[in-house]
Amino acid sequence: MMTTPRLSPLQQVSLVILRSLVGWHFLYEGYTKLLHPAWSQAGAPLPPWSSAAYLKAATGPFAPLFHWIGNASWIGSLDLTIAVGLTAVGVSLMLGLFTQLGCGGALALLASFYLAAVPTGGADVRAEGTYLVVNKNLVEACAVLVLFAFRTGSIAGVDLLWMRSRPATVPVQEVVV
Amino acid sequence: MNLTPEQMELGRRNFLKVLAGTPAMAALGAAAALRGPAPGGRVRIAFIGVGSQGRAQLTNVDPGYGDVRALCDINPAQLKLADGVLAKNGMPPARHYGDWREMLQKEDVEAVIMAPPLWAHAELAVGCLDAGKHVLCEKMMAWDLASCERMRAAALRNDRVLEIGYQRNHNPMYQAAYDGIVKAGVLGDIYHVRLAWHRNGSWRRKAEPPSPDYNPSQWGYPTFDHLINWRLYWKYSQGLMAELCSHQVNAANWFLGSSPDAVIASGGLYRFPENREVYDHVYVTFEYPGGRTAVFSSVESNAFDDYYEMYMGTKGTLIMLREREALLFEEGGSGRQTGIEVTPAGKGAAAQSSETMAANTNQGATRAVTTPSAGGDAAARPSATRLQMRRFCSAIRVGMPLACGPDKAIGSARACIGANEAIKTKARVNLRTT
Repeated sequence: MMTTPRLSPLQQVSLVILRSLVGWHFLYEGYTKLLHPAWSQAGAPLPPWSSAAYLKAATGPFAPLFHWIGNASWIGSLDLTIAVGLTAVGVSLMLGLFTQLGCGGALALLASFYLAAVPTGGADVRAEGTYLVVNKNLVEACAVLVLFAFRTGSIAGVDLLWMRSRPATVPVQEVVV
Repeated sequence: MNLTPEQMELGRRNFLKVLAGTPAMAALGAAAALRGPAPGGRVRIAFIGVGSQGRAQLTNVDPGYGDVRALCDINPAQLKLADGVLAKNGMPPARHYGDWREMLQKEDVEAVIMAPPLWAHAELAVGCLDAGKHVLCEKMMAWDLASCERMRAAALRNDRVLEIGYQRNHNPMYQAAYDGIVKAGVLGDIYHVRLAWHRNGSWRRKAEPPSPDYNPSQWGYPTFDHLINWRLYWKYSQGLMAELCSHQVNAANWFLGSSPDAVIASGGLYRFPENREVYDHVYVTFEYPGGRTAVFSSVESNAFDDYYEMYMGTKGTLIMLREREALLFEEGGSGRQTGIEVTPAGKGAAAQSSETMAANTNQGATRAVTTPSAGGDAAARPSATRLQMRRFCSAIRVGMPLACGPDKAIGSARACIGANEAIKTKARVNLRTT
């Protein structure tokens, strides 16, 4: 019978660090959006946040769809959904709680962010660097894919504690023919 | 003190050249930015006293920072004028009150900005602070020191912001002069400061009562003239020392890092004795620690000297002229040339109200507004009063340090109240024991 090769401690720690960092990124992005209206610590009110500007500036093959969403009357509800989604994903990945679900949410959000601004080589004022096809959203999405594939919730986190606290189940006897 | 245009230009360039090497407040901003944003919307504000100074503050409320909900004044004519200010700035109308207590009960405001006559500062400020409101009170802090102390205690007791409105503290030109010239030691050791505020006029304001039967006696003003010209009566005012000198001595205290130990003074009511009690000429010497002396004079019979603060150091002289110009002269030198054209002074400063500016005097024709140097986008620069309004809101929301909290304000109030006492008693007044 084939057994799953056990990850080395370094590999496990690396994966959990990666999950925590990605989780913090999501959590803080979501938290600061939910915070609005808000002030910078330098003492100035922050401009109100909305995804509308990002969506209206969408490029790439799905641009028309995102432009339409950006102009929709329900953009306020979408903004709230995104902020809550980011926060929930952040909490999930930070705590290792419903980790696979959190990874799925993170992938969905990052995919939509990526598709709304696929770097096709032109200058994009929204980007802080110069990208062609691959940008930080895509790299972060791949990082989340790794977290998903390695089921990091069973390495450390609330998911693991839950699994351990469940009473051991009696293994089902294989039917011997 | 009068300078030729060439001397003015030289002084201006000297000032700017020295400033060029001064790191800005960027480090502070960067440190502050390490903390995340704080929740909160615009600060909900009420105004008490919307006379000329109150309206100057009202027009400078940044709509991104503050939301003016209510206005209170015992003179309905002032409320009407304040409505015009709101409308002109595209701000929504605010509700009107004649009674500040009623306003505090009915309005959900966080902060009160007040510019009533001096004698009312303490009662109003303490009442607002005790009601849990943050307070920005126009200078001088209060009519007497006991009232100043009551205000400070109320701010501490209620853990609320209490800022006293000295526009120089918010003027970027003053901040630049302090950081880049005074603190940097460019002037050497400063032993002497000259403060002057000279005008040629009666200081009397003309206004009609809001209605023929308007009677302000219920608020302590026997006639309408006592209300509209409260600055001229001792009951309500500390005269030129409070309305003019306190601005300059507050700035001198900042630049010298201290407040005076003692004051000697003379003066009197020489030119306009009718319907007036406060002096129209004052000559004051403030003794600071370390052998430093500031002299202040204010005359209402000659405007030739205009108004300025002059810091005379062992290595150079800094002149802060009319709140709009900063001039630097090397001691004994011919001055240093520079190609820098940006000046911290600008058109914005002219928009603010102060006692000598045209809007508040009958001497508009004698006052030339200094045009900004080429190269600076003066129109885009906010005025000191606007910066003051912003900072007050920032102090409430994220705890930005106050530019002039109770401690500093008491320092300048004590000096000015002491100067009037010195004139009245013809004695040297020790400010450390009074």
